[in-house]
Amino acid sequence: MSPVRLRGTAIEKRYGRVAALRGIDFEIAPGEAVALLGANGAGKSSLLKILAGLSKPSQGQFGAFVDGGTSPLDRSSLRAAVGYVGHATLLYGELSARENLDFAARLYGQRANQERIDQVLEDFALADVADRRAGTFSRGMAQRLAIARAVIHRPGLLLLDEPFTGLDELSAERLSEQLGRLRGEERDAETNGGTPSLIVVTHDPRRATELADRAILLHHGIIRATPSKQHAEEFTADALRAMLGEFAREASHAA
Amino acid sequence: MNVAWALLWKDLATEWRSRDRIVAMTVFSFLIIVVFQFAWPNMEPEQIAQLAPGILWVTYVFAAVIGLGRTFSTELENDAMTALALAPGNRGWIFLGKATATWVLITAVQAMAGLVFALFFRVDLTIGLSGTAAIVVLANVAICSVGTLLSAMSVRSRFREVLLPVLLIPTLIPVLAAAVTGTTATVAGEALALTTLQPLIVIGGIYFILCFLLFDFVLDE
Repeated sequence: MSPVRLRGTAIEKRYGRVAALRGIDFEIAPGEAVALLGANGAGKSSLLKILAGLSKPSQGQFGAFVDGGTSPLDRSSLRAAVGYVGHATLLYGELSARENLDFAARLYGQRANQERIDQVLEDFALADVADRRAGTFSRGMAQRLAIARAVIHRPGLLLLDEPFTGLDELSAERLSEQLGRLRGEERDAETNGGTPSLIVVTHDPRRATELADRAILLHHGIIRATPSKQHAEEFTADALRAMLGEFAREASHAA
Repeated sequence: MNVAWALLWKDLATEWRSRDRIVAMTVFSFLIIVVFQFAWPNMEPEQIAQLAPGILWVTYVFAAVIGLGRTFSTELENDAMTALALAPGNRGWIFLGKATATWVLITAVQAMAGLVFALFFRVDLTIGLSGTAAIVVLANVAICSVGTLLSAMSVRSRFREVLLPVLLIPTLIPVLAAAVTGTTATVAGEALALTTLQPLIVIGGIYFILCFLLFDFVLDE
């Protein structure tokens, strides 16, 4: 699948009286890696669900485009282009790692391709446990399998919602390396027609600087800053941490 | 269609390994039959023929409610429901896969419950077996269609255990009326008339098509 370009204009998302997103505008280029940063309740997961086609904005325009097209993908085509990892792993504990990947591929209308499954298991260091039930996996292994599951159909847009949550430092480091390799791999770029766009929600500014070309800093449903790697001094983990802290202080003063 | 096969395989494979739903439904069915046996221990064959359709369908429906209640709750573990919602294409195929897997499980439990009923009440199973089986198979299409849709709708509700039977059983009244009437005739040894099956075919067909089409909206937030 070709990398996806995303554009949102005046996006609002409300849950009853609570506004999770308050009229945000954004543009994400094909193949770009963007980190969504912000405190709890900033609107990161709400935005991610809209990007995945799981939820509709209460107001505003959202569109996903491929191959330089000008007409947005319909919801079914958007879902076909998305690889999603949420707070939970989206796995079946009774199925083996291989069966989980096979089932995921079939959900995307792809016939079971053992070669592709073997390749993904290898990429995520799960080949040795391919036939073990996912329910017996450690948190780190399950998270790697969850990401393997999300990329099995070669998505053009990879959405990761706090993929490092619950992982120890070593597992988080390993996962971060695997994600970096996944995006950089020539093999995927050739087959996909380009590196997939990546949106990663994280609380960890250090991981954001490792994985992303740019960050979107959300606070109370509003985009407060979008530092990019081209302006490296703005995009260091310390700078991001400082910005997030500043927004939090502003909010507490306002309250 | 590939998605429906994948769901059918996944549901049956996970059920085979966990035996989660089938054990609950089977035990519950057997207990109901045992309770009825205690209530009427020494019935004459004519009395059994009169009461059998009622006893069987009470057992079948309540066992089905237990099975349907678990149809989507297994998808809540690890939020696999989101993975289903993300699947591209017509979500009706997801409905078809889930409903077919439930149909297979419920029909298997009903066959076992029928055997136990015959043993406990000393009923000759050969009388009207094919007719009763045809009625059960058709009624299950309607039960599993509506049940799968309602199970998906109620699974994220706090009151799902209560909500499902409260919504399901009234919806099934026309199906149950036709099924009980038909079973009364077949258990009494009468030949199965097409007019007995017609309401089950029509209602089952309508429920199936409606649920297939409506399922697309159920998985949305």
